[in-house]
Amino acid sequence: MVALLFKRLFHGLVALWLIATLVFLLSRLLPGSSGSENILLANDTFYTGSSSSSRELAYRAYLRRTGLDKPTFYFTIGTSVEPDTLHTIYPEADRLLLQKLAWQFGSWPDVVKFFTAYKALHQNLTQLQEPKLLAHLQSLHRSVDPDVLLPASQRLRKILNGQHGSVELEQATRKLITKQQPYNALLPQIRWHGSQNQYHQWLTEAVQGNLGNSYRDSGAVTGHIGQAISTTWWILLLSMTLTTLLAVELSILFVRKRGAKWRRAILPFLFFTDRIPLFILALLLLILFASPDFLQLFPVYGMGTYIPTGQTWLQNALNMLPFMVLPIICLVLVNLPYVTNQFYSSLADVSEADYIRTAKAKGLSEGKIIRQHMLRNALFPIITLLSDFLPTLVAGVVVIETIFAIPGVGRLLIESVLARDYPVLVGVVLVVALFKVMSHFISDLLYGLADPRIRQIT
Amino acid sequence: MQALYNDIKQLWRQKIAFRVALCYLAGFTLLAVLLPWLPLRYMPNDINLDKVYAAPCMGGSNSNWFGTDALGRDVFANTLFGARTAILISFPVASFTALLGLVLGTTAGFFGDSGFKTKRVHVIVSVIAAVFLVYLGLYVPIKARVLLPSNTSLIYYSVASLILVFVVLWGLARLLWVRFAWFHKPIALPVDQIILRIIETLTSVPRLIFILVLASFLPPTVPMLAILLALTYWTGIARLARAEMLKIKNLPYFESARSIGVTQSAMVFRHALPNMLGPLLISFTFALASLLTFESTLSFLGIGIPNTLPSWGRTIAGIRHNAAAWWLLAFPGTFLLATVMALQVTNYYILAIIQARKK
Repeated sequence: MVALLFKRLFHGLVALWLIATLVFLLSRLLPGSSGSENILLANDTFYTGSSSSSRELAYRAYLRRTGLDKPTFYFTIGTSVEPDTLHTIYPEADRLLLQKLAWQFGSWPDVVKFFTAYKALHQNLTQLQEPKLLAHLQSLHRSVDPDVLLPASQRLRKILNGQHGSVELEQATRKLITKQQPYNALLPQIRWHGSQNQYHQWLTEAVQGNLGNSYRDSGAVTGHIGQAISTTWWILLLSMTLTTLLAVELSILFVRKRGAKWRRAILPFLFFTDRIPLFILALLLLILFASPDFLQLFPVYGMGTYIPTGQTWLQNALNMLPFMVLPIICLVLVNLPYVTNQFYSSLADVSEADYIRTAKAKGLSEGKIIRQHMLRNALFPIITLLSDFLPTLVAGVVVIETIFAIPGVGRLLIESVLARDYPVLVGVVLVVALFKVMSHFISDLLYGLADPRIRQIT
Repeated sequence: MQALYNDIKQLWRQKIAFRVALCYLAGFTLLAVLLPWLPLRYMPNDINLDKVYAAPCMGGSNSNWFGTDALGRDVFANTLFGARTAILISFPVASFTALLGLVLGTTAGFFGDSGFKTKRVHVIVSVIAAVFLVYLGLYVPIKARVLLPSNTSLIYYSVASLILVFVVLWGLARLLWVRFAWFHKPIALPVDQIILRIIETLTSVPRLIFILVLASFLPPTVPMLAILLALTYWTGIARLARAEMLKIKNLPYFESARSIGVTQSAMVFRHALPNMLGPLLISFTFALASLLTFESTLSFLGIGIPNTLPSWGRTIAGIRHNAAAWWLLAFPGTFLLATVMALQVTNYYILAIIQARKK
């Protein structure tokens, strides 16, 4: 039993590690997802008018601060024509040009020579303030076709009479074209980076409980998530308890002899609510019971605007209660059909067992048979069911919190998705997955405690 | 297969609810397919700022039957085109996931941890070939296409060198096979364990959260969303197919098929798959209903789906800014509910006949 328990825990932890790794790597590797654009855009409003070199410095500093200047993983497999420091080049247009040149001509040293010659000429022409010539120069930026580059550079030399470094540019272009090895890009190169990489850094810190800082406000991710959980926790706990209690009572009602008419009345209703999309149900309740146009029984949004300090947790909970009524009703209504059905079929199975007939023959009352003899046996499968049903509840919380504007994990997730705040997203995934692993472990443990037969299994 | 068809025919004759549900679904599909050719007064993205939040109205020559939203877009046109979007996303995705789940689930169930045996040399060579396939077949062509759109020769060279690598690897495999006995040793691939671990990993986070997070890394386009949905939805069907396969494997007729020397492929395709059709049909319609809900939830949240695409969720989301505009929720919401309900009713009856046949 213990061995089985730990084997399952181990499998769960492996899945947790895999999913977190997957999400982390995807967030760093997919194009346009480095999140740096956001920061630079935000900085632009403060530094507008600053020179490009100071912006480049800011970009480098940003990369160093967030650790983004390091390689993503322990090794990279890429084309041999690109150097591994390419991503530190700023601005992005230059980086793209260099990459195109490298892929087209296949010889990095010549590409760099061409690019420095180009930059030097660009610098000189900017000082001369000749917009016409600059426009001419920038045509070199547009294409990497050798048939375009060479005539363009020759024309430039003629116009400038070989001054300001235009000769060097032409030579560099000629060299680039004559020495090209166009199919070098096909050669793969494996680079080993050791432990100095983003993934290693993130993993070692995550294991120690530090999930990094948010891109949006540089606050600690753990702090954000902890605060969000303290709200979501109550909703989860209350709706789960309510759903379970209601489901148990309903299934007991159904399994009774006199319960048949109840069953006929309630089951079709549950069949109907089972498939109502959660967001439609939540909006319906919101419009019917919390909007001034219909009945305004409950406060509409949020979790209360002002929470005085120095209150006990009970007073806090009482303050939050009116805001939680509608969200909890939604979650209970949506999850009740499935849970009730499972409870009822489990109870109905047990009701045909021999020992129930014996109990009936002994003359026990129906209520006593159900509550003392059937329930305990019927509840075993339900322990697993509850741990399976937690993820559904967590997914529901995302929708509910968005609609009712509750500052919990779901809202944090949606806001981070919209702001592309990757450290928070990876953190939320990690916490939710951990939550699932723990709930499975606890349910396995409870199952073993409740059912002596399970303890024999190795 | 014949039996399932007969059962459905009988249901059609006996149960009115089943007939209604099927008729509704057929009409719904027809509408979604024919929609671009229907004479509609407004298109879903026509903006009319003179008629913002117009209430539903039936009469008049240019009235909006289902009202309009915050930008004066016609809710009727949006509801119809939303149906088209919903079906165009969920049907292909559900079909693809059913196929993928079926293949992976039956493979896991049929071979188990020890049934899939290959030689050492095959394993080694296929791993190397896969690495080259990804690099020369995917990475280089995609990068070249993005960076140098005019330079197609790089792509041709890439594919040509991929073929060359395959030929060399094949020759190498022959050579190793002949020279070294070490490579002859068979290895049993734990297919079942591998697929189970993948499923466990993908389901370790609730699907909604997983897709929301992945959608934030990618540009919001319909093909991207379809890929994301397909990659996360197959796990349910794969689990079911695996369980059914394990059940069938232990049945006496399957044992006897094995004992008289039926080939593996015949065992799977002739003897196992036809027996799994009923449960698969159910999980397919279930996935379809779930995808419909999921698509409208995502478009309601405004994540993963382009803003220009008319959808039920986009229209419904308008009600959050103006709670008095009940028509924004009522019409698309009713359609969504009716469609999901029709699928649920169909599902319920098919499940009932399958359970009845088992007894």
